[in-house]
Amino acid sequence: MLTIHRLVKRRGSRTILSGISFQARSGRVTGFLGPNGAGKSSTLRILLGLDSATSGEALINGVPYARLRNPLATVGALLDGSGAHRARTGRAHLNWIARSAGLPRSRVDEVLAIVGLTDAASQRVGSYSLGMGRRLGLAAALLGDPEVLILDEPVNGLDPEGIRWIRTLVRERAATGRTVLLSSHLMGELAETVDDVIVINQGRIVADGTLAEVIDGHGTLENAFFALTTPNGGRVAQ
Amino acid sequence: MRAITAELSKLFSLLSVWVALAIGMIVPTAIAALNSVSTRKEIALGDHTAVGIDMGYQELAFGVIGAIIIGVVAISHEYFAESGESGGGRQITTSLIAIPSRLRFLFAKATAVAMVSAVLASAAAIATMAAIRIVLGEHAPEIGSEDVPRLAGIVCYWVLTALLAFGITVLTRHGIVPLAILIVNTSVVTVTYLLTRLTSLAYYFPDMAGIRMFIRNLEDSTVEIAPLVGGLVMTAWVAALLIIAAIVFCRRDA
Repeated sequence: MLTIHRLVKRRGSRTILSGISFQARSGRVTGFLGPNGAGKSSTLRILLGLDSATSGEALINGVPYARLRNPLATVGALLDGSGAHRARTGRAHLNWIARSAGLPRSRVDEVLAIVGLTDAASQRVGSYSLGMGRRLGLAAALLGDPEVLILDEPVNGLDPEGIRWIRTLVRERAATGRTVLLSSHLMGELAETVDDVIVINQGRIVADGTLAEVIDGHGTLENAFFALTTPNGGRVAQ
Repeated sequence: MRAITAELSKLFSLLSVWVALAIGMIVPTAIAALNSVSTRKEIALGDHTAVGIDMGYQELAFGVIGAIIIGVVAISHEYFAESGESGGGRQITTSLIAIPSRLRFLFAKATAVAMVSAVLASAAAIATMAAIRIVLGEHAPEIGSEDVPRLAGIVCYWVLTALLAFGITVLTRHGIVPLAILIVNTSVVTVTYLLTRLTSLAYYFPDMAGIRMFIRNLEDSTVEIAPLVGGLVMTAWVAALLIIAAIVFCRRDA
């Protein structure tokens, strides 16, 4: 369960988040949508304790990320790119993360197999494609078999098979009662995957409900998204 | 403890750290061997004052470059951005997700840097003194009980210099500037040494104070600083820098 409560983030005179509140419930996949610069990444970074909030709270199972006893067993997160240094091999990257959480080396091999990187594990991350980098980032997120997954644009750079694999993975996680919060630009893909939808625009939440509630009256998630985030409802000028 | 092993694992899986270890071993050993060869010639010509009191120690003061690289790379590699094409991520996000406490993270990293630098300094000191012994044979300076604190001083100097480089890089988040400044100051132009021509206060810069732990005959020094005092002055500099670095690091968005 993720709780964002009256979260405000200012950088200098710029307001990135103006007091947003929402929840991502366990057993459900929550889609987090918004145009570039709407405040998605800032919200996720504050949730993970990477950035500080100006005011308000971002809680994981009721506590801030920094106070989690066993962070990797509680939250798995994928942000930009692979999150790995290019000079290391994929396996070496996962090895240090596993050490930091006291996880056995055998778990590294398991997650490498889950994301399909076993054969590329001894290559340097610098030689990975965008899709392989994302898979490595996902492997890191899955290392601690966490209760909560927070994924920022997870399907970026993945091929159709990879996209389907992510969809199956997050559905399975939710089916076992875990929490998944994922952001994406791909509306069609999100509509296939999520239970609940949060739409953020210019640092404010403009829609929060089940997929059916948010789509209601718009036909598709894409139409709903443009109606909520653009002044002209996303109509392309003729 | 887990955080420290994770940081050690990070260091040893970086090629640049292995390069730093090689530089730290080879540079002082090779220079000491070359200097010993010329000393042997002078001895052969009858100059028995050629063996200086600081033989080997001067070369080790120079080999600290290896420790500087370790201190810088340990933190700068965290901030190295992936290409925009592969998403522009940085490892620091992964690190702080794995170890959310900033202080614990920084402490584990500094400890790993100090441990590796201490081992490197000890190995480099043994190799350097052995090289002198091999080249000079019976003419090599005796290593006695008075050398124990000096050799310990070498280890302290390398560890403190690595932590100094580490602290500066925490503030800059980029390796090039601290690496260039510290290596140039150690090897090409010792700015802090030149400043001692202007003011004797410059003898209290961290590097100038720190070398007193093992250098006994500092060229045209106008200020006497006891080895222990020199070590304490350098420690104070490093402690102050690390405290500032920790405050900035804890307050700053990753």
